[in-house]
Amino acid sequence: MEEDFELLAKFRKGDQHAFELLVRKYKMTVFNTIYSIIGNAQEADDIAQEVFLRVYTKAGSFKGKSSFSTWLYRITVNKCLDELKKRNNRIISYETEFNEEEKLKLKDVLASREKDSTQELIRKELQDIIQKAMNSLPEKYRIILTLKEIEGLSYNEISQVMKISVGKVKIWLFRARQKLKEKLAFLYPQGE
Amino acid sequence: MSCKKFKIFLSAYIDQEITKDEQEKLLEHLKTCSACTRELKYLKQMKRIFLLKEKKEPQEFFETRLFARIRSKRERLAWRAYLPVFKKSILAVLIFFLLVVGLLNYRNFLYQRPAEIISDLLIDTEIEENFEEELLEIYYGPLG
Repeated sequence: MEEDFELLAKFRKGDQHAFELLVRKYKMTVFNTIYSIIGNAQEADDIAQEVFLRVYTKAGSFKGKSSFSTWLYRITVNKCLDELKKRNNRIISYETEFNEEEKLKLKDVLASREKDSTQELIRKELQDIIQKAMNSLPEKYRIILTLKEIEGLSYNEISQVMKISVGKVKIWLFRARQKLKEKLAFLYPQGE
Repeated sequence: MSCKKFKIFLSAYIDQEITKDEQEKLLEHLKTCSACTRELKYLKQMKRIFLLKEKKEPQEFFETRLFARIRSKRERLAWRAYLPVFKKSILAVLIFFLLVVGLLNYRNFLYQRPAEIISDLLIDTEIEENFEEELLEIYYGPLG
């Protein structure tokens, strides 16, 4: 956190290399957050570029009341919300239904031991399956699950990024998980 | 306390965002509630699925493309930096022009006005002509 503030201070004084270091440090975080919320890699790449351009032009307005990463997440989430608003005027349909093969793979992964399921091929396939499940959720639940499960933010950090109370974070996460459970109902046969 | 309330606790419990008091009540409840125990198992599996999710890489040359965009933006911004100076210069030229025009007009007003007044008073051609006719009549008797 201190390192981020130092890099930002250097960048404000005109050190372009400090900004490059910040980009290198956070590009994966920003890209994966957007990808998880938006569900499309090409669009996530474009939005990630927009996020860093905004950081570049607005670095002077960052007051340091929160950590740099919280500020960056807030810009990222806002950019995603802008994009999702634009989408309301367009018809975009992502696949959200699982086929039989995907259902079996997910069951296998959950049944297997940790070391088996870390095989690269399985992990890659699993990524698409999870993304499909995420795409089926309402946007606020997609955002909150991304911040918690993909990025590992605390409830307090999520409340700062989404500008909602910690109590609301608790309830929204509960509801998001219930929605996801409905989507993955095939993993939990009745009575099990 | 209802199972729904405990399920909210469970969600916070797996995130380690639960108070000590809530945790004690929850663990006590889990001893007797099979539905909530199943829910806990589901939540743990869900966490595991997300943990297995691999981080994706942005598309190729992300930084190169970004820095190229920044450079072009900076060039645009640099040009814009001169815009206020340019606007001020235009305004200054305009004010100077108006001042010069104003001064010239004022000067004309100052120097032309007395002349106009004198001409108004003295050079009234009709009076002058009548006066001349009267003089001629005095010297040569009534005309025509």
